[in-house]
Amino acid sequence: MWQFPVSDQVPQISGNRQACGNRFDKQQRTFIQMRTVLKVVDNSGAKKVMCIQALKGKKGARLGDTIIASVKEAMPNGKVKKGKVVYGVVVRAAMQRGRCDGSEVKFDDNAVVLVDKQGQPIGTRVFGPVPHELRQKKHVKILTLAEHIA
Amino acid sequence: MRLEKCWFCSSTVYPGHGIQFVRNDAKIFHFCRSKCHKNFKMKRNPRKVKWTKAYSRLHGKDMTQDSTFEFERKRNRPERYDRNLAENTLKAIKKIDKIRSDRASDHIKNKSFSRLKTGKVQRQKEARKQLELGIHLVKAPLALAQDSSLCLPKIKVNVSQAQTEENQPMEE
Repeated sequence: MWQFPVSDQVPQISGNRQACGNRFDKQQRTFIQMRTVLKVVDNSGAKKVMCIQALKGKKGARLGDTIIASVKEAMPNGKVKKGKVVYGVVVRAAMQRGRCDGSEVKFDDNAVVLVDKQGQPIGTRVFGPVPHELRQKKHVKILTLAEHIA
Repeated sequence: MRLEKCWFCSSTVYPGHGIQFVRNDAKIFHFCRSKCHKNFKMKRNPRKVKWTKAYSRLHGKDMTQDSTFEFERKRNRPERYDRNLAENTLKAIKKIDKIRSDRASDHIKNKSFSRLKTGKVQRQKEARKQLELGIHLVKAPLALAQDSSLCLPKIKVNVSQAQTEENQPMEE
């Protein structure tokens, strides 16, 4: 007499996959705030910076905002050294940002381009795509250096 | 303003809808809604997901090659605004859209394997019955009786002699 297997006895293979999917869904992309580690995408010498202050916004910085960061990892011979406090412009943010036409953009990672107090980039090259929100923020120099504008 | 196509399901993304995801290799993915976006995040291949256009085109369920598709190709060159051109384009869009949808629905209905398998056998049975009942609409009964080739194959029924004599005056 063949009996139908009870659902909880059946090995939950699909359940596993579902758990993986849920983990992806639950990943909430939020602001760039204190202690956020960002990738540096110019050739200024730094590799990773940690945000210590978001200059605008109570909750944190978003795409196109400036931050103050501390260099955590740097190339041996570069313009900036480890431990230096620098300004940076967020060029890629995993959190979506609303565009004026109503759509939203999001990038794959959090990336920053180091600038000086006046807003001029320290490096001479920028890698990866940058959003054209920078034009409104008057970071035209970064846009000209960029290899792709999203 | 530009109407994009959702990367996953190929529906149009109107302004104000959807999310644009920019990958680090500068490839941009447009999604019409979070359903498509979540499927993408799950790394599902749209060619394998049954409800997407990519699947139906791949499996021949939808029209793939047609001259009307040429009109919708993405052109990166901006045109100088010309009122007449804009007006004509709008008229043409309507017409081309109608032609394309007609051709697409024909493709779905008339393809040899018939995507909508709505009771083919049933339809044939009904058609045959209708023909038998309404054959007098097609050709006059007298002409049918004279020209046997037009008749449907008749079922032979054994009738007694008395009955046939009665029927003869009626037929005339």
